[in-house]
Amino acid sequence: MSANIKKNLSMTLASLTIVLSASLSWADDNDWVNNLEPIPEHDWDYAKARHLIERGGFGDSPKNIERLVSMGPRAAVRELLYYEGIPDPLPKFDHSNIHDDGIEPFPASRPAATKLAKETGEAIGVKVKPSGNRRLQPVVDRFFYWLRASMLETRRVAHWWANRMLLSKRPLEEKMALFWHGHFATNEEKVRDYRKLLNQNQVFREYGTANFKQLLIEVSQDPAMLSFLDAGVNVKGSPNENFAREIMELFTMGVGQYTEEDIREAARAFTGWNYIDLQFVVNAEQHDSSDKIFFGNTGNWDGLDVIDMILEKPVTAEYISGKIYKFFVRDDIDPKTKKELGAVLQNSAYEIKPLLEKIFLSKDFYSSASMGTHIKSPVELVISTYKKLGLVVIPGVPDFYDTTESLGQILLFPPTVAGWAGGQSWVTPGLLLARGNFVYDTVFPNIKFLPSDRYPDNYQIGVVAERLAAGADIATATQPEDGYATSASNNMVDRDEEFNTRLGSYRGWRTAIEKVKPISRAPARLNITKLVLDANCQTSEDAINYLINRFFSVSIDQGTRQQITDFLTQQLGTDNIPAAKTFSEEALRETFHLLLSLPEYQLG
Amino acid sequence: MSKKYQFKRRDFLKLMGAGAAASGLSSPILSQLSPLAFASDSPLSNKILVVLELSGGNDGLNTLVPYGDDAYYRHRPTLGIKPNKVRKIDEHFGFNPDMSGMERLFKDGNMAIFHGCGYDQPSYSHFTSMAYWQTASPNSGGSLGWVGRLADSLDPAITPNYLVNIDATQSLAVVAKNHVPVVFDDPKEFGRKGLFRSRPLLDTDRAPNENSTTAQRRLLGLAKSARQASEKVKSACESYSTPVDYGISPLDLNKIAALINADMNTRLYYTSFRRNAFDTHVQQPNLHQRLLTYFSDAVSGFFTDMERIGRADDVVMLVFSEFGRRVAENTNLGTDHGTANNMYLIGNSVKGGHYGELPSLTNLNDGNMLHTTDFRQVYATAISGWMGLDAHEQVLRHRFDEFPAFG
Repeated sequence: MSANIKKNLSMTLASLTIVLSASLSWADDNDWVNNLEPIPEHDWDYAKARHLIERGGFGDSPKNIERLVSMGPRAAVRELLYYEGIPDPLPKFDHSNIHDDGIEPFPASRPAATKLAKETGEAIGVKVKPSGNRRLQPVVDRFFYWLRASMLETRRVAHWWANRMLLSKRPLEEKMALFWHGHFATNEEKVRDYRKLLNQNQVFREYGTANFKQLLIEVSQDPAMLSFLDAGVNVKGSPNENFAREIMELFTMGVGQYTEEDIREAARAFTGWNYIDLQFVVNAEQHDSSDKIFFGNTGNWDGLDVIDMILEKPVTAEYISGKIYKFFVRDDIDPKTKKELGAVLQNSAYEIKPLLEKIFLSKDFYSSASMGTHIKSPVELVISTYKKLGLVVIPGVPDFYDTTESLGQILLFPPTVAGWAGGQSWVTPGLLLARGNFVYDTVFPNIKFLPSDRYPDNYQIGVVAERLAAGADIATATQPEDGYATSASNNMVDRDEEFNTRLGSYRGWRTAIEKVKPISRAPARLNITKLVLDANCQTSEDAINYLINRFFSVSIDQGTRQQITDFLTQQLGTDNIPAAKTFSEEALRETFHLLLSLPEYQLG
Repeated sequence: MSKKYQFKRRDFLKLMGAGAAASGLSSPILSQLSPLAFASDSPLSNKILVVLELSGGNDGLNTLVPYGDDAYYRHRPTLGIKPNKVRKIDEHFGFNPDMSGMERLFKDGNMAIFHGCGYDQPSYSHFTSMAYWQTASPNSGGSLGWVGRLADSLDPAITPNYLVNIDATQSLAVVAKNHVPVVFDDPKEFGRKGLFRSRPLLDTDRAPNENSTTAQRRLLGLAKSARQASEKVKSACESYSTPVDYGISPLDLNKIAALINADMNTRLYYTSFRRNAFDTHVQQPNLHQRLLTYFSDAVSGFFTDMERIGRADDVVMLVFSEFGRRVAENTNLGTDHGTANNMYLIGNSVKGGHYGELPSLTNLNDGNMLHTTDFRQVYATAISGWMGLDAHEQVLRHRFDEFPAFG
């Protein structure tokens, strides 16, 4: 062993020792819990720097964490927060070009599309056939085309975003965008337009760490949100309360801070807010300009007035700070902390950065109640695993969408307007196994992988295609699979002879995958051997300690470390890592899977 | 040939237990794998309760249409379903046009309909009201669900797999103090991948030590329950196939049938028509009819399947939604959040018919029905009348008047 390697090795082991001793010192840190004072410079260490980038970003390599350690806490936090000077050379989203003007305005449903076509002879930019069987079929084909193309393109947007999370040198920008996406949760299934989701995503990036008032206005006037919460049909004389309710209940104040009357009046204030394609518009003639009584104030309020009055309430600042705290620090917030943080946000006129700076520098953030206690969300789990592996692109196999779907968090498809419940709900017995399986699929990618953005998960589409190719007529080709259906739903599929929805479904999918660009299907280019050799690991024990230090936020008991070390030694036939380097990759991957299958890996 | 729901075999991996068995390691799971072992040793009652949640606030008035009430048509000039379209079950009520399955279950005397279910000071928020229903604690906080508390009360021995929740994430309704609910969505995914040599370590139960934090302890507990449950669930679904037609969307009831068919120790199942599906603010008619068709087909398919496997007498299903919708339609061909709604108990053991007082469609509070039945009365009926726990206040915190819907 050269002197140089020895020196590096002793450094690596030294930093490990620091981590271990830091975790031991937690026992008596009670005065740090709920304490928002900044942490002293001399308490700054590797574990705390790692914690900062784990929560404020998606984790990082040991090299970058060492850099943050050397900067000290203030400079490290400021670099994370004030990222505007850091170049962002990552490519913009590469559109597949699936949209055209005929699609706007897209009908609310297939029945609405065929009704419109019957009445006017045209819908979604497609004319009704002058005569013959299934005259409305082209309209139905087109309807399903856009439904599927937009859904698939939205998955490409999510994939593009995942790459940004992995690669951006401004990790907090993407982390806050993820937070706001869960806060202002908008789902493609209802919006049915990937462009609106993409634009909204850009709003989160642009305003996500700036000013909450401005962000709230941007989101309230954003076509994705307007469409998602039916603001488009909120008009004078028939207010729709969906947006008015959620802006107070979910986006600003929380339940119990307003009356049902306030919701009705706010809905009237928002009347006329609408969108045309990707543009926010105010339809003056649909705006109710009579007086409204909101929070006891009478006046001819519009949506911006309502937003102002909401933001004046201290409870709004507390609700938003509390939710940000929950995302970055831990699930339960002390009432006193909530008040204090709310005051920080309100005193800065809703500037978000001072609040984040307060949180990221606080003793509370680095207390034992916070560090290593957060259950990583599926997106955090997947991105941070890739990042800590040193990947430079999101793998195509396993598929990012499939993986996060099986773990319970699909970007741009949140379950409801309340976003994801988060916290303990991220992990159930089934999801815990799925998280281990994600690691397996990363190190041993499925060689029989079928991309679900090409191969329809709706098996009927495939059946219809096969029958048509075999020469079946359309009625036969689109029969329910076994030709014997007793349920009302299976009997009604072919009821209307002017079109056939199953045929439309098949054609829509076929056209969609013709147009939507494919996602690259390269598996992860992993080299765990290099990872441990570069860190000068000499023995199996070094390798296991190094991997734990690199990937885990909590310590692993000695017995378990020993078992996994023994496993690695046994698979390698030696405990000498450099000596095994020509054949160690398979064994290291098996070991890696074992390690990251430990339940503790879910904690960040 | 008949339509079959079958969990596709191709993706199944013979995951758990295989490596341990081959390597000769003893595993507590292996001894539980024999179906005989848990069928015959079980001291449990055979009675099973399935709770089906219709999320989003189902429009009860257009589900079970009060076609005999003129007020209904006055409030719903456009959305009201004409008397000649409804599936009449008596002089007053009829089901939404494609709900043939529910119609049959009622006419066979296997469905109790509870009218006007709700609670005081109703919330119009999906999340709040759903939380009230799931915790059975209206206008109050609660971190445990009523089905979770029911499991704790009925089964203090904490039988593994007693409580199953089929969903992508755990429902608040099943959160228990002592029981760890088995939560899964896709049975194919409910197992651990791992190579032969890694198996023994992957399957090792690790106990927490004195340094373990609360978060670590919880995760280690979950890992253990995952290992216990996954093999059973997977083999149950793998070996199950049925000729019964559950319709377009089986609502996971076919998975429940598979577990019942495999004689799992599960006595409480919780599943949901997910994603706020019933939130029909705009363009309601086609959408709502479709949702109800799926719901009706799935429920009647499930009970047909229970007949087929000889378990129809052992199973009762409770159906609810977090609220009904406002009586009057809105101007977007939809309906907004409302209050009182119907609940259903379905099964061979149920005494079919109408229960509870019909809520008025003319005496409204700000456009909403006044509830006539506390929803917890129906829970109490299921808990005491069906599951046999007389002291339902252990679960519901208060005593409620039960309905004579059983025995």
